[in-house]
Amino acid sequence: MSTRSLLLTVCFLATLAVLAHASIAEAADRKYTRSIESYTVPDVTLVDQNGKKIPFKSYVETDQPVVLDFIYATCTTICPVLSASFLNLQNRLGPDAPKARLISITIDPEHDTPKIMKDYLKRYRAKPGWDFLTGSRADIDRVMRAFNAYIPDKMSHYQLTLIRSPRDGKWVRIKELISSQELLEEFRQAWKK
Amino acid sequence: MNGYSKKNGLTVVSVMVACLIGMALFGWNISASAGEQPAGVVGLSRVETLRLGENIYRKGILPSGKPVTAIVQGDMPIDGTMFSCESCHMRSGLGSFEGGVVTTPTNGANIYKPQFTLRRLTPSEMEKIPRYLAPLYLAPPRRPAYTDETLAVALHEGVDPSGRILHPVMPRYFLDDRDMKILVYYLKALSAEPSTGVTDTTIRFATVVTDKVPPEERDAVLAPLEKYVSGRNSRAKTFETRAKYGFFAESMDLSYRRLSLSRWELQGPPETWRRQLEEYYRQEPVFAILGGITSGEWQPVHDFSEEHRIPCILPITDFPVISETAWYTLYFSKGLYQEGEAVARHLGMTIDLPPDKVVVQIFHDTREGRAFSAGFQETWQGLGRQPPLNRALRTGETITKEFLQQLTDREKPAVILLWAGPEAVAALETIAASANRPELVYLSSTLLKQSLAKLPDQARDFTYVTYPYALPQGASAQLNQDQTKVPQTATTVRIIEKMRSLSLILTDALMMMGSNYYRDRFLEVIDMMQDKPRSYTNYERLSFGPGQRYASKGCYILQLGKGLNPELIRKSDWVIH
Repeated sequence: MSTRSLLLTVCFLATLAVLAHASIAEAADRKYTRSIESYTVPDVTLVDQNGKKIPFKSYVETDQPVVLDFIYATCTTICPVLSASFLNLQNRLGPDAPKARLISITIDPEHDTPKIMKDYLKRYRAKPGWDFLTGSRADIDRVMRAFNAYIPDKMSHYQLTLIRSPRDGKWVRIKELISSQELLEEFRQAWKK
Repeated sequence: MNGYSKKNGLTVVSVMVACLIGMALFGWNISASAGEQPAGVVGLSRVETLRLGENIYRKGILPSGKPVTAIVQGDMPIDGTMFSCESCHMRSGLGSFEGGVVTTPTNGANIYKPQFTLRRLTPSEMEKIPRYLAPLYLAPPRRPAYTDETLAVALHEGVDPSGRILHPVMPRYFLDDRDMKILVYYLKALSAEPSTGVTDTTIRFATVVTDKVPPEERDAVLAPLEKYVSGRNSRAKTFETRAKYGFFAESMDLSYRRLSLSRWELQGPPETWRRQLEEYYRQEPVFAILGGITSGEWQPVHDFSEEHRIPCILPITDFPVISETAWYTLYFSKGLYQEGEAVARHLGMTIDLPPDKVVVQIFHDTREGRAFSAGFQETWQGLGRQPPLNRALRTGETITKEFLQQLTDREKPAVILLWAGPEAVAALETIAASANRPELVYLSSTLLKQSLAKLPDQARDFTYVTYPYALPQGASAQLNQDQTKVPQTATTVRIIEKMRSLSLILTDALMMMGSNYYRDRFLEVIDMMQDKPRSYTNYERLSFGPGQRYASKGCYILQLGKGLNPELIRKSDWVIH
């Protein structure tokens, strides 16, 4: 092996080591578990808080970063915190807030009508860019199944935040409640070119 | 929250010490020892303190009128306009459970007493258990009783008296000394005493029946309910024996009570019902009202229930009070109003009627007609549509050929909503033959009853029918022959089925309520129930949730196939979006 090749190999291994170390350090800092997933988004039509029909697949598969959760308007405990995290993300993004597409999908489609969803978003002072979607129970079930988030009843609800990077269409799946700073960092990761 | 995360003990102690020093510096005045009920705080009367405390707890509003502020998840600012203590700990203060997350009770009776893993046994009970189990029952509490100071630490810093860190979704509140005292005062009074209507042995219920209800419908309500109560009481001996000798904390055995059910029969005009209800209640204060039936309005019973804060569970009425804020009556559905609502959603969302098309509602100016038309109009306008043209028929006025011809010639409606009974059959024939035939006609199966199968064949292609129940089961989902031939029997069967749903829900609710005999808790445990599918009910689905007061949210829109025994063709989802 020539000196040059040896030097290149050493540099390459050193780079790998640095990257691995950074990755390990990052993972060690993180206090929650996450996974990277690929999902096939179903081609269903949902309805937003303004009563507007939303072609869900094209709405989600966009060049904007997407953050998605499952909530319902009369939920206790989990949804208020998930929704507070959406608002805080919008606040922390400041003028960039409209560039994030935040989507809350109801798991109580029987009750959550556009009017109820609109009132809910108003209560949380949601800014443009955060939409609340409802639809037929069959379509909502399809969406839940597509994201490996199916529950037979809203009372079996659990916290889940999904972040889609427009870079590769992959999703970060976080099955815990995380802090505002952690969500912001996850979002920025997804947004990186 | 039930889940706690362990943290460095030294940090916890430091935080507690810092808080106590902070409170001392800022003049935190320990005004009451654990469990005491001070007579008002910070110079306010008891009533005023409770009012302001309730505003903090339930609405997230401080006495200053500003929203409560707090931090959740470590760094997330929130305020009382988004959610309040009540959102998770519920109106009763007894907490909630959802998706595996348990929110613990926050009422004074619970937090001002130590929390043991196992119930404290009496000396005689201790003698009965095996000796090796004794240490388990004598173990120190896993959470000592809160005091005013430690409660303030928990609310400010999220640390409980045992030093454990509360779950990060429990907000850490920014409350000043004065507001903290008001809130603590309220928590002490919250669900402090069990509600009226429960004794050591019995939970008292009543059911309300108004006169003019046909006898067979009245029996259809009373017989299943009374059978349920007597059946449950016949098993009481077994449960009572088990409760007497059992020693497991908070088990359903300990909470077991016999049930009593009184008939509150209301006579005469509705404006006198309130007085009669008050008299019944004075003679026998009940815990809740179960079922019941009226052939007319339900408003006086609704108001009575709301003002006395008495739960009224699933009465049979076509005229529930439509409200977004009323709390104490849980209805099966919005009744006739819901059918009007379904038509508006179908026409607006599914058909997507162009805005320039004329919609006419024809209805009798009766309670029924007004309920249907209000359901349509309010929902229709909520969808951003122009109000429909309303033709209310006066008493004695009928839907004649001339009336319909004039209407269609003059208004040229694209859609007619015909809120009428059997007379709709002849009207539909006229409409089908009209030169200016509308594109669509909507009718109600509730009003048509047995005439549903008689709708003229030539009109079936453009006629839609509301159907607020699950469709008949069967290969072809054909119209139920019983319904077409013997409508009274069909109505009675539906009522019996509804009382069966009530019994199943009641069984669950009594078990979930445990020994927390608070009326608010009774409603809350129903709110926390899983949805009931059609095996429980003659609706497609009953669903619940905090503040959701109409359990069935749907109504099918159908078309009829051809012939005398037509196929019911579903043209909408159960809930239309």
